Amino acid sequence: MRRFGALLAAGLLAGTLAACGGTETQEMESAQAFAMDTVMVLTAGGGETGTALQTAQEELYRLDRELSRTREDSAVSRLNSAPAGTAEDVGEELYGLIAQALTFSAATDGAFDITLAPVSSAWGFTEDAYRVPGQEELDALLTHVGADHVHLEGGTSVSLDQGTQIDLGAIAKGYASDVVASIYQENGVAHGTVYLGGNTWVCGGNPEGDPWRIGVQDPARAEEAEAYTGILRMTDGFAVTSGGYQRYFEEDGVTYHHIIDPATGRPAESGLTSVTVVADGTVGNGTMCDALSTALFVMGEERALDFWRSGAYYFDLILVTEDGRLLVTDGIADQFQPDETAGYAYEVVS
Amino acid sequence: MRMKSSPKLRPNGWDALVAGAVLALAVLCGTLAWAGGGDSGALTAVVSVDGEVTERVALSGLTAPEERTYTHNGYTLHVTFTAESAQVTASDCPTQDCVHTGAITRSGQSIVCLPGRIVIQMEGGGDSDGPDLVIG
Repeated sequence: MRRFGALLAAGLLAGTLAACGGTETQEMESAQAFAMDTVMVLTAGGGETGTALQTAQEELYRLDRELSRTREDSAVSRLNSAPAGTAEDVGEELYGLIAQALTFSAATDGAFDITLAPVSSAWGFTEDAYRVPGQEELDALLTHVGADHVHLEGGTSVSLDQGTQIDLGAIAKGYASDVVASIYQENGVAHGTVYLGGNTWVCGGNPEGDPWRIGVQDPARAEEAEAYTGILRMTDGFAVTSGGYQRYFEEDGVTYHHIIDPATGRPAESGLTSVTVVADGTVGNGTMCDALSTALFVMGEERALDFWRSGAYYFDLILVTEDGRLLVTDGIADQFQPDETAGYAYEVVS
Repeated sequence: MRMKSSPKLRPNGWDALVAGAVLALAVLCGTLAWAGGGDSGALTAVVSVDGEVTERVALSGLTAPEERTYTHNGYTLHVTFTAESAQVTASDCPTQDCVHTGAITRSGQSIVCLPGRIVIQMEGGGDSDGPDLVIG
């Protein structure tokens, strides 16, 4: 029976491979979408490429409409504006995403938290109206923060406690990458790249038969077009980067970035400047990578590596530290080529 | 990827058969897959506005720097093209990220103006040592 299962698995794997290369391909096509406050670039070759790209574009815009916290008519906004304690029917998709978010919150001891929305707004990151809130204000807002203020009910309904609001910005693009990955597979796309801001999914290797080459931005040289910590070679998989350099403001000579530590309500000071989470191309891993990249940035080097070693989830890491080290976990060390000109002390972690 | 392993699992003939079947199918899939493509063709700057390609500027044909302007969503970008590069030299957008990106010179690089929804992406120019995409 176990062997039959293995053969079945082999067949399914072959089916997956066929979906990512089983049709004669012609040429790569591309599409763009401006959604979720970023530009999204999709490329695809082979299979029903046109259908895949068009469907993916439509889905990205749909998800933007449904998951945005700044659009008044989104499902998330309807939930946030519902009376406290009132169950709001958000539909199966949003319910499922919120449920996943709560799971990641529990797994990371609260380092990942979708209820930071009011705190993020207080810093002005939601409305691009930056300011430094006082600790008293933050302490008051933090009383409404935490997964225990979100209640799942009946498979499609969610209620929030008084003063609690959610923001799915730290997981929505990852979920969107999973959705696009499914669309590519359904349409037999042979080779593809999906770039949704810091979220990436690649499929089938490049048309020449080599792995895709993914440059990982050097956080210390964020404004330079060709400044990488290294190149990650990947045929099929997800890679998501979170870093304080991606969005920040300065006031009185102090830099404040957008990744908020739920424990303090202030920008995380974890000693990390960039966290890249890498996982295989299984649909669902995009959501995981997105959530964990934020959480592990907040947790810092030691806790992040302990979490990786725990085996709770299957993924690998590229960490950049404030003190100039570049750490790569051993699962992807043979796929990663550090850029020596970046000046980091390179370490493989096991 | 890092995978957990179990000491109870030992390979045998059936496993070899499975592995062989997967390998054969993988080779077949690979054979059916793309056989062409690449960065062939002259270095070209592709300008997209709101997701639609509006202009393709063949840089290799330029003998002197050329400035063009693109306006969308209430913002105007001034772009300078040379035989080797494209660069947003001025923009009235609030973020100025497009200006800060500087000159792009190789296939795969791009300049994005998010408020203006304008993207300039390089294509062609022969094989490139650069990455296919950049995260971060």
